[in-house]
Amino acid sequence: MFRNCAIIGCGQTKHTSRRRDVSVAELAQQAVQAALDDAGITMKDVGCVVSGNMQGFGGVAQPEQWLGDWIGCPGKPAIRIATGGTTGGSVGQGACYTVASGMYDVSIGVAWEKHSDSKEAGATTGLMHVGMGNLFHALTYGLSLRNLIATSAVGAAAGVAVYQAMFYMHRSGCKQEHLDMVAAKARRNAAKNQYAHLQWPNCRPEDIAKTETIAWPFRYGHVCPASDGASCIVVAEEKTAKRLCKQPAWFLGLASYSDEENQLQSENFGGVGVIDPSEQMGCRVSAKKAYAMAGITDPQKEIDLAEIYQPFPSQELIFSERLGLFDDGTAWRHMEKGETDINGRLPISVSGGVNATNAIGSSALQRILEAALQIQGKAGEHQVPKKVRKAVAHGWGGVTNYITCTVLGDSPR
Amino acid sequence: MEKRIAIIGYAQSRHQYDVQKTREDLVFDVAKEALANAGILREELGTVVTASTDFLDGRTISNVFLSMAVGAFLKDESKVEEDGAAALQYAMMKLMTGTYDVALVEAHTVGWQFNPHQVAAYTLDPLVDRQIGLLNDIAASAIQANMYMNKYGVSVEDLAAVSVKNLGNAANNEFAARRLPDVSVGEVLKSKLYYDPLRELMISQTADGCAVVIIASEDKVRKLGVECPVWIEGVGCCQEAYLRDRDLVSLSGLKSAAQSAYQMAGITNPFTDLDLAEVTERFAHEELLICEALGLAREGRAKELVNNGVTALGGDLPVNASGGALGADPICATGLVRVVECVRQIRGEAGTHQVPGVKRALAHGQFGLCAQKNTVLILGGE
Amino acid sequence: MAYLKDERPETMMVEGDWQVGAYRWKAPRLLEEFSAGLKEKKIIGSMCMGCGKVITQPRHLCGRCHRRMDERCVLSDWGTITCFVISPKVEKGKYKLFGMDPVDTGTLKLGEILIPVFVRFDGADSNINCLLLNAKPEEVFIGMRVKVVWAKEPKGQMADLEGVEPIREK
Repeated sequence: MFRNCAIIGCGQTKHTSRRRDVSVAELAQQAVQAALDDAGITMKDVGCVVSGNMQGFGGVAQPEQWLGDWIGCPGKPAIRIATGGTTGGSVGQGACYTVASGMYDVSIGVAWEKHSDSKEAGATTGLMHVGMGNLFHALTYGLSLRNLIATSAVGAAAGVAVYQAMFYMHRSGCKQEHLDMVAAKARRNAAKNQYAHLQWPNCRPEDIAKTETIAWPFRYGHVCPASDGASCIVVAEEKTAKRLCKQPAWFLGLASYSDEENQLQSENFGGVGVIDPSEQMGCRVSAKKAYAMAGITDPQKEIDLAEIYQPFPSQELIFSERLGLFDDGTAWRHMEKGETDINGRLPISVSGGVNATNAIGSSALQRILEAALQIQGKAGEHQVPKKVRKAVAHGWGGVTNYITCTVLGDSPR
Repeated sequence: MEKRIAIIGYAQSRHQYDVQKTREDLVFDVAKEALANAGILREELGTVVTASTDFLDGRTISNVFLSMAVGAFLKDESKVEEDGAAALQYAMMKLMTGTYDVALVEAHTVGWQFNPHQVAAYTLDPLVDRQIGLLNDIAASAIQANMYMNKYGVSVEDLAAVSVKNLGNAANNEFAARRLPDVSVGEVLKSKLYYDPLRELMISQTADGCAVVIIASEDKVRKLGVECPVWIEGVGCCQEAYLRDRDLVSLSGLKSAAQSAYQMAGITNPFTDLDLAEVTERFAHEELLICEALGLAREGRAKELVNNGVTALGGDLPVNASGGALGADPICATGLVRVVECVRQIRGEAGTHQVPGVKRALAHGQFGLCAQKNTVLILGGE
Repeated sequence: MAYLKDERPETMMVEGDWQVGAYRWKAPRLLEEFSAGLKEKKIIGSMCMGCGKVITQPRHLCGRCHRRMDERCVLSDWGTITCFVISPKVEKGKYKLFGMDPVDTGTLKLGEILIPVFVRFDGADSNINCLLLNAKPEEVFIGMRVKVVWAKEPKGQMADLEGVEPIREK
């Protein structure tokens, strides 16, 4: 049955747009070493290594076969999990399952991304190849270049997120100022997080509003960076966790349900039966499953903190509703009142979130890691003042159809 | 093991090079067949674990457009890269926690899309080996073969004998891509030379293929009334160090994985406790190294197993009755195809390459240069 | 690229590549069907006989029912805007496609405003992404009724569906 397990150590690297002082192997190793030190164990104690990243960005296929030597793989079971944007979340859940199943007593989950290894800014080669085959295919059927540029390049930085935001704003009454508020909050919070990328102490919505528009309603100030960084968690079964760690962050529930492709096309430029990409049925169902496993019946009251994967500020609002934290269409009102601030009733993404730090492969793992830090009371300057009993960590990815939802708590199931 | 897990359904595609289907249709057809084989509806699935790699599929997030085809709509889904057998282990761990009671495991590669040997070159250490540009998976394996042959006095004919056995076996397997029922050692040794001593007929046949396996936990198996569940009695996996930092002459990682699997399954003497083995041998000499690492022969002596017919179809412990990877290698799916073949043997559904009286079998999957990562599963009938 | 400018004592730069242009994929004939339909000024969709959903551009599989969608039907060329995005005025150097600037090649006009929209044609359960033509940005709203603007001489290609324009009362 589900053997109780918890996160007993967390490690991350400093995130910047170019970590030129280390190779990608050394970057991942920094995170692993930091996590092992935090947990008070060595590589000898680790039973299984779960790792992942989005290999297209770095141009090395199956990188853990090479850099496994840096992260402790030789002689151990090593599983590579990669699911696009949710890679980190899947790695974290994978590390949990390896221990919860009873097969291993201690596992580590490590995820990383070194975007600067790619020649193009934002590593577009890797990103474009999600649908490159579709593109070439459609071009052979005389897809108009004008339409192509207009429909895809206009949102080049934003992709389907801009449409997703429009759907949400239309039905909820959320305005562009609210996106400015969320982005400013992320950068203010990140200033208190020593590992975050875009740190802007005292950032105000007016500062974000001054930045140029990409495509209404998105501004350049709303968009996440492309970071180099890595993160790692150490997961241990109950006895070991209680022995080694004063306040472990226990896994209470986890799920990662997939939806139909949300990003307009399926393989070969076919259509998809999803009209509204902000509906996110996969998130609803994942949250339901994770909360049921955790014994949570009223997330609005029982969840103390959320780490939401929000490369775009609209997604913090959309997903907080889909995770059951606010009633439909009301998230922006609660955010406006300050409820999701670091000292608010339900702090969201107090680490700055993905909006301030985005090493894609590791971002979703970082959400689990940050939630764990808050439960453990180890988040330093961005520790929330209230006691965190239960937290939810979320990730999305794929063509906006993958979700990971993980619930952590301060006591075992 | 507290919660027993069994395989309740399976399916594989007819492996061939340049299958005339889209990736989506290939995966859909096999997934549908496996669900029918298991006698369950898609609605009953709890979780789906797939295996594929971005570089082989030419698509970042190689599984993202396949979720619908594989049956993962509004189901828990994840992707374990590389080998299908590793995906099976992950799905098994999910069921062991009791979070779900039925899982679908899928693995595929369309080898026709891009030369997999080129992709293997992309897995090299980017800082030195890739810059030098001399190595690829075949060259590295040839180095391993030469080291092994020199250390133990194994001849190139011994390697060819493995090819003759497996390619002959493949002729009885309707799913295999390369079937040469009457190939001889001489013909193998005259086939195109890649890197000495590795010749074309000693190298696995890249194919387009997909395999799907459906597993369920014991309670569900009883509830469904499955007639012939195949229990996963043991599993083990291990990764070795990178190519230049390991001892290539023996597969120590596989030995470690096998030991974990044997311990879990309560196997003390693999040679007598197992009735059959399906291993992933991308190169002929790998089967010899694999048999030694699995404890079926002493170091350097696996050639005797082949030469004395011990591992032949009619021998004491048939290895690769299906023809193995030499017969068909749909890369990521190959390990899972080995599992499927074991299930067929245990259920008596292996057709013309059926080995009589198989109760316990070993399935092995690997990935990486010179079999760097290995997964071993022990399967047993009721 | 700026990355060459900073010399670090700890690391050096080595080069490599991942040539995706060398891949070949198998595709179905669905866009051929769709384009042939466009030549007749018809929008073709695939219909699932399990759930009844109609998807355009057509696809082979319905993931919800896990069955093939081999039935076809023709959709109306009238539809509703479900979503829109307004680009800022086109400038040079803003967008690049395959290494070329679309203003230089004449694909886009300097200073123009593009309005990509999601359109749900009547009868469909999916959106088609295209441009809104013959309309001012201030006029657009979600729920606006539009109809297809066909190319003057449809040739049986995707570009035959040039875009949509508002249905204006006569």
